[in-house]
Amino acid sequence: MTGTQWVPLALARDITPGTSAGTVAEGAEIVVWRDTDGRAHVWEDRCPHRGMKMSFGFVRGDHIACLYHGWEFDEGGTCRKIPAHPELEVPGSICVARYGCTETGAMIWAALPLGAEAGELPALPDAVPVRSITIEAGLISVANMLLNEENAVIEGALATLDSAHGPLAIGVQPIRPGAVTLHIATRPGASTETLLAICDWAETLRRTAEKEIAA
Amino acid sequence: MSAPLLHNYDLDEDCYRARLVAACSGVALDLRNVDMFPGAEHRSDAYLRLNPLGTLPILQDEMLVLTQPEAILRRIAALDPERRLMPEDSIIAARIDDWLAFWAQHLAPAKAAREIALMATPGDLAALSARTARMLRVMEDHMTHQTIRGLGFFAGPELTLADLALFPAFALSRDHGLDHDAFPALRLWARRVRLTPGFITMPGIPDYH
Repeated sequence: MTGTQWVPLALARDITPGTSAGTVAEGAEIVVWRDTDGRAHVWEDRCPHRGMKMSFGFVRGDHIACLYHGWEFDEGGTCRKIPAHPELEVPGSICVARYGCTETGAMIWAALPLGAEAGELPALPDAVPVRSITIEAGLISVANMLLNEENAVIEGALATLDSAHGPLAIGVQPIRPGAVTLHIATRPGASTETLLAICDWAETLRRTAEKEIAA
Repeated sequence: MSAPLLHNYDLDEDCYRARLVAACSGVALDLRNVDMFPGAEHRSDAYLRLNPLGTLPILQDEMLVLTQPEAILRRIAALDPERRLMPEDSIIAARIDDWLAFWAQHLAPAKAAREIALMATPGDLAALSARTARMLRVMEDHMTHQTIRGLGFFAGPELTLADLALFPAFALSRDHGLDHDAFPALRLWARRVRLTPGFITMPGIPDYH
């Protein structure tokens, strides 16, 4: 994939308020975090102090703090607190780089690459999250497997298709060459049995895709 | 009756398991800290007399000298009169047995990978870490399904000995370079484990709150 585009990074459900998670998209290390008011943030996963991953740290209200030395950054990515120098008024130039982000279709999306102006992502239909699944196979082979399904269409990083267990909306996150994460959602109201059947479908897809690599 | 004596090394993950199980089941332990690294005190004559395998942890309790991590965890959990980590229900108990065996057999590469990374013991780090990733994937799939069923833990709706035995292999995987990105269900499960009354950390498992 080249140029600017919206890429799904997580199922919105899996980033609970007050938590963070590291991820990789097209080789870039990214932290996805949600403040205690429920707003999602997507940043470069690197503290400007010593390069520690911000995703190893912890969320405090609308700030995220680095695990190493506790440097705290506000929702704008600007450093507000350096615990080793409590008297210091922190200069506003110490910042973590932010990605544009939005939530729709049960997923958290970011505009890639860093600094991209991706325009607005059109709102997706309401959906319920099923699971995220990482597959050790190339983007093209996974995309081709999805396109083999009934009524499959891929637009940008979103695949829609009709599985034997109902319609699926699948966010496709390219991790690096040879690894892809699929964020799978389905229509609201799906039963527990249906959700488990979709998991089985996804795990079978993973097994098949990885077998092709091994062959 | 005096408290059981745990021969302990703070950075060893199986010693941590024993301390964690004791802390979460309200069982008091006496600790004797052993200079495992760099002193290799666990391989001294006195320790080899106690445990010819030269491993830690070792639990001494009344007539017992236990050297196998699974037996040590079971013994500590059984000392809790409330049996909060080992419920009586036979189905839950069978699932606990299954996951304890999974830990003992299939997560051995996680411990070996971490020891290579931290203590420079010989071995194939890349292969062991890749094997660990496969096993964490088995755990991730299981916890994904459990969550859909409305069950928050490995053996059922409540935390059991199985969760505490499995937790360190996930929580410490970054010590050997394995990130948590591909395991969202395990990440949420680990947060629930951390909320257990009595929960304690060890170096490598940050104390957030």
